[in-house]
Amino acid sequence: MVVRTITGDAAVAYAAMLARAEVVPGFPITPQTVIIEQITEFINDGIMDADFIPAESEHSVMSVAVGASAGGVRTFTATSSQGLALMYEMLFAAAPSRLPVVMAVANRSLGAASGIWTEHNDSQPVRESGWLQVYVEDNQEALDMTIQAFRIAEDHRVMLPIMVCLDGFILSHVVEGVDIPEQSLVDSFLPKFVPVNVLDPKDPFMINPVTPPEFATEMRYQQDRAVEGSKLVIAEVDEQYAAVTGRRYGGLFEEYRMEDAEIALVGAGTWTGIAREAVDQLRAEGKKAGLIKLRFMRPFPGEELKRATAGLKGLGVFDRSAAFNGYGPVFTETRNALYGSSVPITDHVAGIGGRDITVDVVREMYDIVERNASGEKVRECTWHGLRGEQR
Amino acid sequence: MYEIRFHGRGGQGAVMAAQSLADAAVRSGFHAQAFPYFGAERRGAPVQAYARIDTKKVRTKSQVYNPDLLVIMDESLSELADIAAGLKPDGRVVMNTTKRPEEVDLGKGVDAVCGTVDASALALEVLKMPVVNTSMLGALARVWDVVPLESIVEAIEDRFGEKLGTRAGILNGEAARTAYDSTIIGRTLGRKEYGKLAEWAPAWNEIPIGNSLRSETRDGVAVGPASSSQNLTGRWKWSTPRYDREKCIRCLRCWWSCPDSAVIRLDDDYMRWDMDHCKGCGICADICPVNAIEMVQGAHTW
Ligand code: SF4
Ligand code: SF4
Repeated sequence: MVVRTITGDAAVAYAAMLARAEVVPGFPITPQTVIIEQITEFINDGIMDADFIPAESEHSVMSVAVGASAGGVRTFTATSSQGLALMYEMLFAAAPSRLPVVMAVANRSLGAASGIWTEHNDSQPVRESGWLQVYVEDNQEALDMTIQAFRIAEDHRVMLPIMVCLDGFILSHVVEGVDIPEQSLVDSFLPKFVPVNVLDPKDPFMINPVTPPEFATEMRYQQDRAVEGSKLVIAEVDEQYAAVTGRRYGGLFEEYRMEDAEIALVGAGTWTGIAREAVDQLRAEGKKAGLIKLRFMRPFPGEELKRATAGLKGLGVFDRSAAFNGYGPVFTETRNALYGSSVPITDHVAGIGGRDITVDVVREMYDIVERNASGEKVRECTWHGLRGEQR
Repeated sequence: MYEIRFHGRGGQGAVMAAQSLADAAVRSGFHAQAFPYFGAERRGAPVQAYARIDTKKVRTKSQVYNPDLLVIMDESLSELADIAAGLKPDGRVVMNTTKRPEEVDLGKGVDAVCGTVDASALALEVLKMPVVNTSMLGALARVWDVVPLESIVEAIEDRFGEKLGTRAGILNGEAARTAYDSTIIGRTLGRKEYGKLAEWAPAWNEIPIGNSLRSETRDGVAVGPASSSQNLTGRWKWSTPRYDREKCIRCLRCWWSCPDSAVIRLDDDYMRWDMDHCKGCGICADICPVNAIEMVQGAHTW
């Protein structure tokens, strides 16, 4: 075990190396670029045995990833924002073909108004592509989850691609001390990739040929069940990883000071660390505040969240992007999951386009949740730090 | 509401026929719709088209399962499958055949009013082309009098005229009139027992992961989606490639280019043809740089 002070991007690159990724197609885009650069250095230095394939666009990157994975090799790539958008079509080829590609997404605001700063409006819109999605809180988790991602994706009960989402800049370009596990330890945790379908000219067959209406419903349902079924595997893998590294993340979500909590927030990404601070302050002031760190958007832990929040007097949801239906996507999913629950629930949009989130901003969220819990009329969705009156 | 189902082969104009019938119905004061079975269109492949006619707005958008009228544009289709399936008890049939209605057998229990017409011969005579759709519409008007022949001819003249020129419009109208006059009315036989076609209707958890279909499996090749061994595309052909081994320079281009993998590469790089699957498209003949492949009219098995 070595502790190195490295960026989130570098942590992900170390993970891809330790996981023995064999093919890495790539195309540069800020704030992901460091991941791919670091990997090419590892390869150049002779410490990583992988083929790096520079493609002419992200669409080609994902096409190469699909081809490599269908060829039976462990495949890794990384992207951000417009790069992910350009991959869109091929994301929908990877998932139904059940190819366990692992991709890091350094979250960055997508589209106009152009920004390089973090926002979840690049990865949230593709949560219906059939990929699994995990959001991480710090550089250590970025490394750990990239390693775990291979184990989850390649499990024959899953066989689905997975995105490891880390906030751009806030993680990708921030250095933290990261425990880099020994190669032998990672090898003992992560077995060799055993593909289900391997394209081989000597044994020709088809993956996803033209699928007429007579078969499409069944095939989609199978995909739907595979995503749902991954919940079990995610929990198992979390335990197995804890057994070798001592680090446990809680699977689909982590509960922080939730035992006797009355008010709580749920949300994903680096915001969670700031929210922990806010919870501690509130607890010190005698308020029964708790936090649910949402880790997976897919599979979405609907039933599980409903159970975990059942005793609350108020719940708030943090969204780092808008869904333009008046609410953010995490809220839309959470409230849907909590249908029938009596817990009052509010949405809290913040950190858009990389705007900084402070402990005070999170406390403002808890304040609204508390007032909502006590029966006061509050806005169902609040954009925090918005200049001008919210309508 | 009346529902009409057309059975033909790609290239025979089943869709144009259904659209023209809907057009004629609208002209005579009805509400109507027409549409094809949505899928890949391939010349010679069995196709279906549908029309609905009603005195009020047609709202449904589903396919036709219980037709009032069945239009069979290619006789050989009734040998392959039970195409009269779902025909209403008092439903009627129009068929392109040289047979008399009493000789037409569309399966056990199908004792239906039937009009037969040799539309293929008639189209060749009037249009100088084997495109039977307009003749079939004329015959249809004779068997089923809901939409009058005059509206049908009018719709044909307009639609075909617009697409192929005024003269072609008039000729096609003429084909419809001639077919109307030469249609023989009777009843079908209703004796034949159809064998059940092998089918693969897997439950969701029976589909191989990644929807992958392997060549050694029955599901992958015999009956699954995109399978072809049961689907003898060779039956579609109107012309056949003839290979001249003497001229062949073994460039492999025909082998690469055949869309149905019907050109088979031998160990010495000369070619052999799988006539069960060659559909006669002519691509191989077109691509051959030394004219070693010639397309010959008719279906042959050399
Ligand atoms: S005509 Fe030639 S290209 Fe076309 S299906 Fe037959 S063999 Fe193939
Ligand atoms: S394209 Fe012509 S010359 Fe080339 S292999 Fe085929 S038949 Fe022979």
